[in-house]
Amino acid sequence: MNFATDTSIDIASAVNRATAPSAEPKLKVEGLNFFYGDNHALKNINFDIPEKRVTAMIGPSGCGKSTLLRIFNRMFQLYPGQRAEGKILFDGVDLLSKDLDSTVVRSRIGMVFQKPTPFPMSIYDNIAFGVKLHEKLSKAQMDERVEWCLRKAAIWEETKDRLHTSALGMSGGQQQRLCIARTIAVRPEVILLDEPTSALDPISTSKIEDLIDELKQEFTIVIVTHNMQQAARCADITSFFYLGELIEVAASNEIFTNPREARTRDYITGRFG
Amino acid sequence: MTEHIVSSFDNDLKELSRRVVEMGGQSERLVADSVEALVKRDTELAQKVIVLDGPVDLLQREIEEKAILTIARRQPLAGDLREIVAAMRIANDLERIGDLAKNTSKRVLALTGEFHPQKLVRGVEHMSGLVLEQLKMVLDSYASREDARALEVWRRDGDVDVLYTSLFRELLTYMMEDPRNISLCTHLLFCAKNIERIGDHATNIAETVHYLATGQLLTDERPKQDTTSLTSMPFPA
Amino acid sequence: MSSLARRRATDYTVKVISTGFAALSLVLLAWILWTLVARGLPALGPHVFTKITAPPGAGGGLLNAIVGSLIQISVALVIGTPIGLMCGTFLAEHGKNTQIGNAVRFVNDVLLSAPSILIGLFVYQLMVVPIGGFSGWAGSFALAIIIIPVVVRTTEDMLNLVPIGLREAAFALGAPAWKVVTLVTWRAARAGIVTGILLAVARAAGETAPLLFTSLGNNGWSLDLGVPMASLPIAIYQYAASPFEDWVALAWAGALIITVGVLTLNILSRLVLAKMK
Repeated sequence: MNFATDTSIDIASAVNRATAPSAEPKLKVEGLNFFYGDNHALKNINFDIPEKRVTAMIGPSGCGKSTLLRIFNRMFQLYPGQRAEGKILFDGVDLLSKDLDSTVVRSRIGMVFQKPTPFPMSIYDNIAFGVKLHEKLSKAQMDERVEWCLRKAAIWEETKDRLHTSALGMSGGQQQRLCIARTIAVRPEVILLDEPTSALDPISTSKIEDLIDELKQEFTIVIVTHNMQQAARCADITSFFYLGELIEVAASNEIFTNPREARTRDYITGRFG
Repeated sequence: MTEHIVSSFDNDLKELSRRVVEMGGQSERLVADSVEALVKRDTELAQKVIVLDGPVDLLQREIEEKAILTIARRQPLAGDLREIVAAMRIANDLERIGDLAKNTSKRVLALTGEFHPQKLVRGVEHMSGLVLEQLKMVLDSYASREDARALEVWRRDGDVDVLYTSLFRELLTYMMEDPRNISLCTHLLFCAKNIERIGDHATNIAETVHYLATGQLLTDERPKQDTTSLTSMPFPA
Repeated sequence: MSSLARRRATDYTVKVISTGFAALSLVLLAWILWTLVARGLPALGPHVFTKITAPPGAGGGLLNAIVGSLIQISVALVIGTPIGLMCGTFLAEHGKNTQIGNAVRFVNDVLLSAPSILIGLFVYQLMVVPIGGFSGWAGSFALAIIIIPVVVRTTEDMLNLVPIGLREAAFALGAPAWKVVTLVTWRAARAGIVTGILLAVARAAGETAPLLFTSLGNNGWSLDLGVPMASLPIAIYQYAASPFEDWVALAWAGALIITVGVLTLNILSRLVLAKMK
């Protein structure tokens, strides 16, 4: 197969090799183009993201991977002058449709950022904040939800005795897991992770990676990372972006031992000039 | 392939590959010398082979250490990872080849003074010629990263097996003809087996080179034609 | 002289000069404070806080002026804070790099440095002349105009200090913009915004000029914002210029009260800001 000229990649085979029987993709990107003003940042992207798998996006800075991530939950709409064309089907519904409310999209497609961003309030309120936006829960139900998501984020033991103290007093790694817990609390279907461990030490990084492994049982996860070993460890599928194009998508097992594209190979072996 | 951004990584990989090629040359020499010692009943040469197996073992350990260190330092991926894994595997095969040559040489020493009809070693000599050719070709294919030649070696291993089976029958026949041949023929049989196994290691290396060049594992069944384990000959009563 | 020695000499000279001027300004400040305390403290007494203006020699106090100041500042705060807060929020959250945002920011900066007498005259033309008389409302309004640009400026600056990631994180949970601003951004900038308001109050409390043309001053007891109202700065202005010794003493006492009040507000705002960091 020659992938060099065509970015429309059928990854079904790759997915099949890497994963269990593939269902319909959770997110299906069709002919997506993205512009920052006049800058054409993403060029005709076609990309399927399978359900309940970890899909990694790698590539050099400015290649468009984070841009794509921010299109999935319509973050780009916060900024004037940014424009997306094409389709992103989320369970068959076009995410880019004007009829769809951004707050609804974001409640179903959550996002965790590079730097931990705890709100200046207690640990409990950090989690309750997002939940209250979408659901009306009693105090008991809210307590239950807070415990549930803190347990899911593997941080319950560390926080159960200090739920009502400020989240700003936690370590960086704990803050990041709190941010993941906060995202889970809203019960999204997809979790977007934008370099979630680049600001963390190796131990905290391992905990987050372990968490990602756990979470993929229930959530579809898309992760942008600069750490190739992290993609190799965590992701079922890895995609490589370069200069706004999707160069290659394959099972992580394959792309890191035997990439098909020269540009992928040069990037992951550290040969980019 | 273009160079790495970290140039010392390139140097590490080149150095590793250079040592494997060097080790390949030494092992090849050991095999050729051991066969020559056998054919010419040259005990001096046989002793030399036994001594020279030591440096080959040393080289294997060095390659392994360097490979492990490089993995730890660089976390290689894709082609780089395959390069290092291939170096380790080939070094292992070459080390075994050296041991087999040494074993053949030891048998040469054991045979000193035995009655030694030249026609008995002809078959072994012929077979070793073929195996040496295989070994040379597979080492060349490693040096040049040529998948096609590696695959050719891999396919031709069947010929060695066929030769070995017929040699096995031949030596059995000699033993039955004249019991005085038994001691020599038994040793020769082991030597032949050594050489046949050197051929197997050459095939392993061919598989490694194929993996190195393409990233694919050779999963098909290898053409196996050594049927001696199924061969029996009724002793004439 | 070697170059090293020359550099050392230059370094030493500059250090001596700058330390000298720093000391000079501190001395001046200490001098002012000392004079205030020395003259104001003896003049302070219960009567200052319990009695209203009286003729010279009759043992009057500053009660009407203190209460008048408090009322006018409070009203100014109630008018000015929401406007300033909203305007600052607009500039930081929505008005970045927009024409209207830049225009508002520019006008606000001009207002920030406008002489306060101009503000007094402006309100005089706007309220006193059409209504036909000085009033507490006009005074409050003039003080509000002093407060607004300070609050706008500090609010915008403080909101700009809130990391963009915090806003994005709130949006990413599906929060609408108004909740992001009120529940997250304001909260994160809370201490800074409060500081700005305190500083604005401190500034307004000491202003005389805007009040001269608006609330005028009142020697009687009045809580009615519809008529002229007394205030501390104006009382100081009047008493200090008078030839009567007890009035001059009251002016010193009033100056001390204002200074202590403003100083307290400044220290308070620093404490709040320190708590934020």
